[in-house]
Amino acid sequence: MKRINRLWMIALAASLALLALSACGGDDDQQQTAADGAESRGDTIALIQERDMLRCGVTDTLPGFGFRNPDGSYSGFDVEFCKALAAAVLDDPDKVEYVAASSSARFELLAAGQVDVLVRVTTITAERDGGRGVDFAQTTFYDGQGFVVHDDSPIRAAEDMDGATICVAAGTTTEQNLDDFFNERGLTYTPLPGEGSEPQDQFVARRCDVFTSDKSGLAARIAALPNPEDYRFLPLTISKEPLAPGVRDYDSDWKDVVNWVVYGLINAEELGVDSGNLTAWASDPPNTAVARLLGVPYEGGDVADLGFAVDPQFVQRALRAVGNYGEIYERTVGQLGIEREGTLNALYTEGGILYAPPYR
Amino acid sequence: MTRPTRYVLCALAALIALLSLALLAAACGGNGDSDDQAGGDTRPSVLQDVIERERLRCGVKGSQPGFSYLEPDGSFTGFDVEFCKAIAAAVLDDADAVDYVSVASATRFELLAAREIDVLIRTTTVTAERDAGRGVDFAPITFYTGQSFAVHADSGIFSSADMDGITICVQSATTTEQNLDDLFAELGYSYRPLGGEDQENQDAFVAGRCDAWTGDQSNLASRISQLTNRDDFRVIDEIISKEPLAPGVLDYDNAWKDVITWVVYGLINAEELGVTQSNVAQWAASPPNTAVARLLGAPFESGEIADLGFDIDPQFIQRAIAAVGNYGEIYERTVALVGVPRAGSLNALYTEGGILYAPPYR
Repeated sequence: MKRINRLWMIALAASLALLALSACGGDDDQQQTAADGAESRGDTIALIQERDMLRCGVTDTLPGFGFRNPDGSYSGFDVEFCKALAAAVLDDPDKVEYVAASSSARFELLAAGQVDVLVRVTTITAERDGGRGVDFAQTTFYDGQGFVVHDDSPIRAAEDMDGATICVAAGTTTEQNLDDFFNERGLTYTPLPGEGSEPQDQFVARRCDVFTSDKSGLAARIAALPNPEDYRFLPLTISKEPLAPGVRDYDSDWKDVVNWVVYGLINAEELGVDSGNLTAWASDPPNTAVARLLGVPYEGGDVADLGFAVDPQFVQRALRAVGNYGEIYERTVGQLGIEREGTLNALYTEGGILYAPPYR
Repeated sequence: MTRPTRYVLCALAALIALLSLALLAAACGGNGDSDDQAGGDTRPSVLQDVIERERLRCGVKGSQPGFSYLEPDGSFTGFDVEFCKAIAAAVLDDADAVDYVSVASATRFELLAAREIDVLIRTTTVTAERDAGRGVDFAPITFYTGQSFAVHADSGIFSSADMDGITICVQSATTTEQNLDDLFAELGYSYRPLGGEDQENQDAFVAGRCDAWTGDQSNLASRISQLTNRDDFRVIDEIISKEPLAPGVLDYDNAWKDVITWVVYGLINAEELGVTQSNVAQWAASPPNTAVARLLGAPFESGEIADLGFDIDPQFIQRAIAAVGNYGEIYERTVALVGVPRAGSLNALYTEGGILYAPPYR
């Protein structure tokens, strides 16, 4: 017993030491030491440039958002933003090292410098923003939590879920919402948590009655199954899940680039810039707003340098790599039957709430 | 392994663990002891400055009815001012612990950079150049507006299509003028600019020296609403630019930015959840659900208080709501009174046809 205690102590001590190293020291040149009580500044852009490679934390098991294909390539909505960022900073959308980040380890990976940015269907929450050292860029996808059951299930409404076994991804806001939702209604349930595609597999194998996650993620997973008609959504949305890229706090230059790549792709859609007209408009912009966005002169004027840590053509490069927001949507989640029209993810001019501040 | 060796290893491991924890605290903590020597480009968070000073220095405009206005008695009122109060209540538990600093549009970012103001809440549009090039980090958008035109009620001008060749009062060397030039270049129209400051433009317009007066739609509406002959003028429906207004802080100060961000989100979430200035005390004592409990930093039923890890205590949003009410209450008490209705605008909640949306407080 004593021996076990001591071994346990050693293990604990060693893991604490590792935790300390990984939590803060991960990259020596990433943060200067700060003994003065102020937070030290990160400079992730310099790291990416030195490495000549962007490390993007993604999920690799969610069709439509982040998925590792049989040939080893990655595809999906989140993946497109990784490519856009690599194109913006490194002029090459393929200079991305995709790091599969599990839902429960993602913030540690970010804090430890193992990823430069997390683009992993991650909900902006106060605790992540205020307590976990994450700085969120603009929301790329507005989602909400829903429920799927087998089509032959008797479950039709919230109350029918009393006593059900529910498959849910571990370490997620989904888990927490589920708990709140059942507690407030005085209902009970048995959670069956898992990582990656485990909850889906368990659900399909009928080891749980209900599968809960972000609605679009559920729809994407169900659509990718051989027999999607065997499943049914409950008419419930129990939370707000605004999904956004996350970077480390105290890394403003990098955050600005990530933020304005997202805003840039949204503004491009609003201004009508797309893959088809990009080259023509970059050499002959139809108006000043487009000229500024693409970092090109308008009618003999100067190129507007708005002061980013990368050159003024970074949004243009991102657009060249992946197209505007609407094109990304249609090429990824749109392919899985997740309609954009009538959702919050439509442009604010078309009934949604997607709005980007002006690029000027 | 001999027993002494094991003891040495144990002691060593424990030492490493302690050192690691100390390192962690020093490198990651950064909140408790920010007042000692700050060097290089790292300075303690403005949050610490505010707490030590026991005053919030809020940079406002001071001359715009409905947004921030210096009243004859020396007090400040308006939408932006309410957010200053909310932040002071959140951080200092006193909505009156605010030094209002009237800042000019030309110097506002310099004052922020020099830390002469802690936060800029001055009808400031979020733009790329300000975010990236001027060292500003923007909190969430508090007000969506856009550039429009005021015209004389009896004029035949209803949209920009009717504006070829007219005289327009516009503040020179602003994004307003830039937007106007862009629009007219695209339309192939010309106009005669009459440039001046806000008040000069208004006076020139009212005196009929220009056919149209351009500015943020909410600014035009609020200024016109203060005129005795307000019915002689109208603001057209057309919006020619996006002007999302947001509080600004300095880059590289996330501890402070997070507090301001979540005060804004908190007041929006409060409206969505039905928390008001009048029920906040009662709901803090007995919250109707976990979402309200978390927002107010109160326990739900017999549970614990959720500490989400901000550098101030978990009741900061509760204090902000107690001081100024939720977003809707602020709006009704300020800009709604100067002729800028909320219904049907982008500033309605996303559940009510607008685009105002706050991430969840959890």
